[in-house]
Amino acid sequence: MSGTLRQVGIDIQESEENRALIDAIKQDNPDLTVRHLPGLVKVQSSGQIVINRETVESHLGREWETGEFQLAIVSYAGNFSEWDDDQIIVKWEH
Amino acid sequence: MQYELRYQVLEPKRQSYQNVIDRFGDQPASRYLEATLDVEPRENFHYRPTWAQDRELYDARFSALRLTDPYSFTDPRQYYYTPYVTSRAAMHDEFGKSLGYLEDRNLLARLPEGWRAVLGSVIVPLRHLESGAQLVSVAGARFAHGTSIEQCCTYAAFDRIGNAQMLSRVGIAVGTGTDEVLVTAKREWLDAAHLQPLRRLIEEIMIVEDWAEGVLAVDHLDKLVYPLLYTALDEAALLSGAGSYSLIAQHFASWFTNQRRWLDALQTVWQADPENGAANTAHLDRIATTWRDRALEAVEPLAVVIDKQVPEAGAVAALEGLR
Amino acid sequence: MSIDKPEARVRPKKLPLKQRYSLLTRDLDWEPNYVTREQLYPHTSYEGIVVHDWDGWEDPFRLTVDAYHKYQAEKDKRLYAVLDGFAQSQGHLTLSDASYLNAIKLFIQGVTPLEYAAHRHFAYLARHLEGPAPRFAALCQSVDELRHAQTQIHTISNYNKYYGGFHSWSKMHDRVWYLSVPKSLFDDAMTAGPFEFLISISFSFEYLLTNLLFVPFMSGASFNGDMPTMSFGFSAQSDESRHMTLGLEAIKFLLEQDEANVPIIQGWIDKWFWRAYRMSALVAAMMDYMLPKPVMSWREAFELYFEEQMLGGLFPDLEFYGITPPKHVNDAIAEKDKLSHETYKILHNFSFAAAFTTQTPQQEHMAWLSEQYPDTFDRFYRPTWEKHLDIEAGGGRAFFQGLPQLCQVCQIPMGFSEPDDPATPSLRTSTFRDEVFHTCSNGCQWIFEREPEKYVQAWLPVHQIYQGNCGGPTVPDVLAWYGIQEGDNGEYKGSLDQQSWAEWHPTSTKEA
Repeated sequence: MSGTLRQVGIDIQESEENRALIDAIKQDNPDLTVRHLPGLVKVQSSGQIVINRETVESHLGREWETGEFQLAIVSYAGNFSEWDDDQIIVKWEH
Repeated sequence: MQYELRYQVLEPKRQSYQNVIDRFGDQPASRYLEATLDVEPRENFHYRPTWAQDRELYDARFSALRLTDPYSFTDPRQYYYTPYVTSRAAMHDEFGKSLGYLEDRNLLARLPEGWRAVLGSVIVPLRHLESGAQLVSVAGARFAHGTSIEQCCTYAAFDRIGNAQMLSRVGIAVGTGTDEVLVTAKREWLDAAHLQPLRRLIEEIMIVEDWAEGVLAVDHLDKLVYPLLYTALDEAALLSGAGSYSLIAQHFASWFTNQRRWLDALQTVWQADPENGAANTAHLDRIATTWRDRALEAVEPLAVVIDKQVPEAGAVAALEGLR
Repeated sequence: MSIDKPEARVRPKKLPLKQRYSLLTRDLDWEPNYVTREQLYPHTSYEGIVVHDWDGWEDPFRLTVDAYHKYQAEKDKRLYAVLDGFAQSQGHLTLSDASYLNAIKLFIQGVTPLEYAAHRHFAYLARHLEGPAPRFAALCQSVDELRHAQTQIHTISNYNKYYGGFHSWSKMHDRVWYLSVPKSLFDDAMTAGPFEFLISISFSFEYLLTNLLFVPFMSGASFNGDMPTMSFGFSAQSDESRHMTLGLEAIKFLLEQDEANVPIIQGWIDKWFWRAYRMSALVAAMMDYMLPKPVMSWREAFELYFEEQMLGGLFPDLEFYGITPPKHVNDAIAEKDKLSHETYKILHNFSFAAAFTTQTPQQEHMAWLSEQYPDTFDRFYRPTWEKHLDIEAGGGRAFFQGLPQLCQVCQIPMGFSEPDDPATPSLRTSTFRDEVFHTCSNGCQWIFEREPEKYVQAWLPVHQIYQGNCGGPTVPDVLAWYGIQEGDNGEYKGSLDQQSWAEWHPTSTKEA
């Protein structure tokens, strides 16, 4: 069962810290669109958005726990279909 | 050089919300008061609960203990959400540092055998007791009458899970990063003879209908468990070369001191209540009679087991001192 | 347990996140022996919901208590810094206009008490649900909701010092007529069983309709210079992600547990979509009429947040389980060009008895409404507003001289028209125990007839006034009982708020 190609999205707080996070997401999700609104960055992709801890760490320059994503997120459209030590995946299930 | 910034000074129309002004006059009020007084709805409820057809959604009758004015009690700690989480963030940060120190050196796993046994068969299983205490406290969060009391119960409930998680992390550390000790501790909680009176007690408290009686019953238990296991035993550990235990126990002891502040204040207010003071005092006595002896009976076997595993602990003697 | 010499310095093995979280939450629970499960959880079977395995509950947000405190303390530090800065600099003077604050009066009177109610009743779930994993999630949500209620009280505290309508929000939520709309909605959810509460609030409110109910206020704040409310909104949103996740997990979990649950849950989705949608009429009115700088129209918000994201995104997902889009959703879609106008007209008619002020839209505002609602505004609503403008040009102000009939279910005055016909009032009647009851729509009638014994209990504000339970027989008596003070109510133009605003902006040439 592959994800249907509906848009999934995450709204992320715009901040210095989250710049690296967003760069990492851009790197691992080639179809990502990024919109900047005041204080907010809206990222969208069709099908799914993947966040890899290692990629984030390479952009951030320090160790990063996937749990820290909770501080960054404002809202989302989709499901958290995976969230473990190394990866977070947002997509629609069916 | 001093300078005074000029800024626009506007006359406020009022200094606080009207309900606060009604109680204390038109003056600036603390954030605690603004966020606590009269927040709970009082009247004109639309439907009866289908799960309690003889009650309203908020109802003083959920407990035998009553206050003429629910807000004659306020939390001496003045906790609303922000100072609460800030204080607990600091507490957990310190605990994390203590635990990190012990984990890096594998000190808990390297405790003398007797102390490791105490941890595995008495302390760590209490993570389940804390979980049960949470269930009892959260009933107060929903059913207490008035925001000032329910708020304290809410924080107490979250604290209990916090304590349970701290004990669980201790268990993981004793097991050098595995779940071994937690698995054993749960088996002990379910089957070991010395823990059954305690387990039975907390299960029975969990089904008490009066939320305040439940909270007080747990408190009678806490007033034995905490001084015994986290203060007296802390001392004994220091004196017998098991300082790692003290490093852990101090956090629980300090939590207990914090917990006492609101619970002791509440009981004083209950007893002094203009309309209900006499009845409340009678209920408090009844509750003490019902639950205190059972608490002693439940904690005694733990003290016996501790002294068997660590003879110099002096747990039975310490418990005597708490009677 | 091994007692051989453990190593000195070891890199402690790290348990995988999922397992560690499980050990710190659901593993704390145990099967009782000295009391029965039924004694411990007496409320979980009467709704007919079947759960075979509570362990099937998934926790996508794995927040342990220590992490919770750390992140939340950090968020509050940032938020209160903004609140303090705004207060110190008299930031309210940079709002678009004092009339903007009518939206925030509606917010603290109508929404803040719901946050508090959610706090109390998620604590109920934290006690009464049988599964330890959802119980812990519910406990976290309960604490979050207390955060929301209290940060809102503090955010708005500064406005309360300088403007009317904020001072008695809690008492007014209990007593004032339009506030029985949100109050009765949450009372409805709280008096239902634990599973219905979970679906009604966690799913319908916190997931299905959250953007429609919440984003307009926060965006409105942003567009109108209300930095504290906007900061609160951002700060609360990350809590809301957890709540949305709980709601979605709740519905999927229950649907997956047993087929028998599907029709029950479908019924709740049908009921709660409509119940919450009707309440959102107040938000619609706020968005289209109460913001000096509007963000988007209700129509646009409804199309984006509901039709596109929910009907287009979520419900196709739920089809897998046999769930269909909510009954009466087509009525909501058919009304999207009418809802805000009809609702604001009601508030405009009766704001002499409200703790906020209203005003007739001026030409510029009407031009925007015309643009947003090309099919309905000029034809059905402009003529009435023009009449009001004429009356006001002559020095008058028309309020409705009397009390309105309320819908027995949603408790909104019956000012709605038929979904497909703006010129015909919408009215339904039902009979129960030989008494006639009135509802405003197909949706509310359907809800009433499903559980009439519940809805006949309602404390209807207008009935209560007539029965003499609201302070006395005259309007001043009732307003005093409501706690309304001079300056709170009536018409915005010429109000105390407007006068203050003019006084505090002496060089401003803003027209009344």
